Amino acid sequence: MTRLRRPLALALITALLTGTAAPVMAADGDKMGFTTYYFTDSGENTVITTAFNLAKKVMRQTVLLLDIELDNVTVPPVTAVTGATRPQRRKGEPFEKSRGQVIVGVEQGFGATTTTALSGYRSQEVDYVSTSVIGTVSDEFFDRNLTLTARAQGNWDQVGEIQENGEVFNRPKNAFTGALTASQILSPTTVLDLQYDLVTLSGFLSDPYRKVAVVNDDGSRSVVDEKHPDRRVRHAASARVSQLIPGIEAALIGSYRYYFDSWEVRSSTIEMRLNKSILSNIILGVDYRWYSQSGASFYQDRYVGAQYTADALRTADYKLKPFDSNNFGFTLGYLFRGLAGGNPDLEFLQGASFEITYFRYFNTLDFSADIIQGGLKFSI
Amino acid sequence: MTNLRTAVALAAAAILLAGCSAVKAYERGKLADPLLERQNEFEKQSLEQKFFSSREGSIGGAAGIGGGCGCAK
Repeated sequence: MTRLRRPLALALITALLTGTAAPVMAADGDKMGFTTYYFTDSGENTVITTAFNLAKKVMRQTVLLLDIELDNVTVPPVTAVTGATRPQRRKGEPFEKSRGQVIVGVEQGFGATTTTALSGYRSQEVDYVSTSVIGTVSDEFFDRNLTLTARAQGNWDQVGEIQENGEVFNRPKNAFTGALTASQILSPTTVLDLQYDLVTLSGFLSDPYRKVAVVNDDGSRSVVDEKHPDRRVRHAASARVSQLIPGIEAALIGSYRYYFDSWEVRSSTIEMRLNKSILSNIILGVDYRWYSQSGASFYQDRYVGAQYTADALRTADYKLKPFDSNNFGFTLGYLFRGLAGGNPDLEFLQGASFEITYFRYFNTLDFSADIIQGGLKFSI
Repeated sequence: MTNLRTAVALAAAAILLAGCSAVKAYERGKLADPLLERQNEFEKQSLEQKFFSSREGSIGGAAGIGGGCGCAK
């Protein structure tokens, strides 16, 4: 219960600030949101997240962006050689840490159809620091029926390892991302989105805490650090169709993603979502996601041989194994527009909404997770 | 090479789709319906997407801004 107090207190304070600040700060085009998120899995890991975001118009075509996120993470004790990503120090005790994340950006419009944005991202926790710069440009064509967006991002991370003496040893990890998105309006009720992502990573791409059990030539057993390649190139191509069905006040959204990388992991993802208005201001969403991936070229169920205690690649990361997963989600949303009731003091509620979501995730590696997420948004 | 072709084909499809009949501005009002959950490229990536990318071996396909964290090692 103790570990819940701080994030819950932060959530309550942020909610109060959001609720009281909304009518004061809001102006045409402003958006404000608050989200809280609770995750737990079959390995007894838990994550509690609170997040606040604000988009504030400061000039006719200039918007300032601010996003703050706070996580509280708990990893249980370990009693054997596992793929758990936590320090071996005090391994008989739960490992708790907090993470703070902030995104600051500016969005600038040029003319009637072009928008650019420049954002800085910083995430900090005791054993991982991530710094990113993201540039985005978007333009509309063919009477605004086609929107093309390009995003470029640089990541400069420090992968930390908490040592037995409590000090942190850091190793660099860098990534460069390019993404292209095309959104095409196909009809008054249909939109097609196509996206391609390319990510190149270099540096320390292993987890400093994960250990691999190796069977030696003489049959004895060794426990060694995992060793991944120091470079990875990742590709993803996806398509998404959003279809509004006005006759029954519903929308059907379907997507497919194909992924492949230089470690020979390949995957397919299919997702279907149905949103239905069940009363004038209440939306019910049902979501199903199926995922299937192959294993990395250097993944093995069992590492046998002296080479695996030396320089041969080896992994204890279950994300590099072949597996399938299923995810079921249910969302209930309420639109506050009905409460505005023509009262000018409550005008900010016109674009406001509250949403609560539950996800149940499970895969063929006997891993499962439950996620509950609640969000409050103001948009005018 | 095959993978590059797939990516190029997707990009070409986007350009070809531009040849579809244009939907006039006054016909596009329904696309703002919250039921469609249109994703915003300039906002933060959803927490849901962050969960999947940290629990599976794949990334990509999501709109929005994201970055690194210890959860995705």
